[in-house]
Amino acid sequence: MTEAVPSRLHPRLMRVRKSVVGEWLRIGNQTQFYTRTLGLIPDALIHYRTEVYRLIAAMGLGTGALAIVGGTVAIVGFLTMTTGALVAVQGYNQLASLGAEALTGFASAFFNVRLIVPGTTSVALSATIGAGATAQLGAMRINEEIDALEVIGIRSITYLASTRVIAGVVVVIPLYCIAVMMAFLAARIGTTAIYGQGSGVYDHYFNTFLNPTDLIWSFFQSVAMTLVIMLVHTFYGFTASGGPAGVGEAVGRAVRTSMVIAAVEIAMISLAIYGQSGHFNLAG
Amino acid sequence: MATLSAAKPFRAMGGFFAMSLDTFIVMGKPPFAWKEYVLQTWFVARVSVLPALLLTMPYSILLVFTFNILLTEFGASDLAGTGAAIGTVNQIGPIVTVLVVSGAGATAMCADLGARTIRDEIDALRVMGINPIQTLVVPRVLAAATVSIALSSTVILVGLGGAFLFAVNVQHIAAGAFAAGLTTLTGMADVLVSVVKAALFGTAAGLIACYKGISVGGGPAGVGNAVNETVVFTFMVLFAINVLVTAVGIQFTVQ
Repeated sequence: MTEAVPSRLHPRLMRVRKSVVGEWLRIGNQTQFYTRTLGLIPDALIHYRTEVYRLIAAMGLGTGALAIVGGTVAIVGFLTMTTGALVAVQGYNQLASLGAEALTGFASAFFNVRLIVPGTTSVALSATIGAGATAQLGAMRINEEIDALEVIGIRSITYLASTRVIAGVVVVIPLYCIAVMMAFLAARIGTTAIYGQGSGVYDHYFNTFLNPTDLIWSFFQSVAMTLVIMLVHTFYGFTASGGPAGVGEAVGRAVRTSMVIAAVEIAMISLAIYGQSGHFNLAG
Repeated sequence: MATLSAAKPFRAMGGFFAMSLDTFIVMGKPPFAWKEYVLQTWFVARVSVLPALLLTMPYSILLVFTFNILLTEFGASDLAGTGAAIGTVNQIGPIVTVLVVSGAGATAMCADLGARTIRDEIDALRVMGINPIQTLVVPRVLAAATVSIALSSTVILVGLGGAFLFAVNVQHIAAGAFAAGLTTLTGMADVLVSVVKAALFGTAAGLIACYKGISVGGGPAGVGNAVNETVVFTFMVLFAINVLVTAVGIQFTVQ
């Protein structure tokens, strides 16, 4: 490390250039990986269908210790249940301070669908199926199993990345339904059973303001989000390096990158869907 | 074998509480690992600040956007600041902090400790008569708590700033009305509850990360799984803590 190497010309300038070029290449690498993964999805559906089915089952139920606590379904349900309960706690009390606690049902129908469920689902998916994919692929990479796949003639991106993206998007469909149901249920139980609002009042405002179009948009938001989350997580797993600790770090980096990207995506899609008018009509 | 797998979650739970108890007891005992604490705090802060700020912007913009649709419909868009303050101070601030501290900081801690565990370095420390809880776990838990507290205030500030810029420049709400509305329903008590939340979140995330890191089994693949479990368990615990603290705290903050 301390060998006598003559210093190069403009060392600081070279370092800056190296880091800028490195960053630029990294973005290029990621883009290339994402396009290839997406482009190879039909290939995965035709040639590796069994692997897709296996992954769908594994992602829905969770693997390892996560299966003991009930798998992805239970985790997503639990997280959205707590955020749904938050609507009851914060919404009811805050509205009660204005004397308008009757509108808690409305708050559940409005904020849960547009804001809370997509946000919570993105976080939950990135933590469960996303981080799981990174950990699996990372372990395969450092054990040189991915190279082994290439050697025996299996297209590794198709077999490992594209199949996981498909499986993630398929799994999110039932998961999203559970998420929405749990959020609504928790908000309703919190408001009526714990804070003692009449269930008729709650249901009236909830049913009046629950907009099916919003729900469908929110669903598409979740699917789009899952696509991006799975792409980011498979990339970080696929390119993990540096031994066991490297896999752990890759999982951390993937989680924070995908959370940021999913948040930006939710905000952008919401602005695009609801626009200036907001698709909301109080007068009915 | 069946009884073994059924008892596993309980065993892990017991192990976690035992380690947490050890940590809190050892925390007050004299040789405090100052150097490790400072290094860990700096490390967690370094990996968390940028993602936290990047994550808080879209969420607060989304909040203001959704809330203002409602307020404009009521004809009460002057209250935009009030909604932004409630959402950002009470929920987005602490939650974003915790997502980032556990997603960025706790995962790295768990990976680091896990790699040491599978190389038997932790056992080596014990053999040398050094308590790993005192030298490794306590500084990490305190570092996570410190960074959470510091970060949550930054996140709230940036969130409110982003909300202000979005509301004023994009949604054309009067800047003065927005600023005046901030403190209508949100006061000192809310800020204190939010800081308490952040401190609890940081401690819990640090404890879970350290427990998962120290109890890694199953070689290199085990580290990846342990980090994955860290993320899932911290998120679950933190969301649960959030509901409880909100429900208790709201009794003091809402008149």
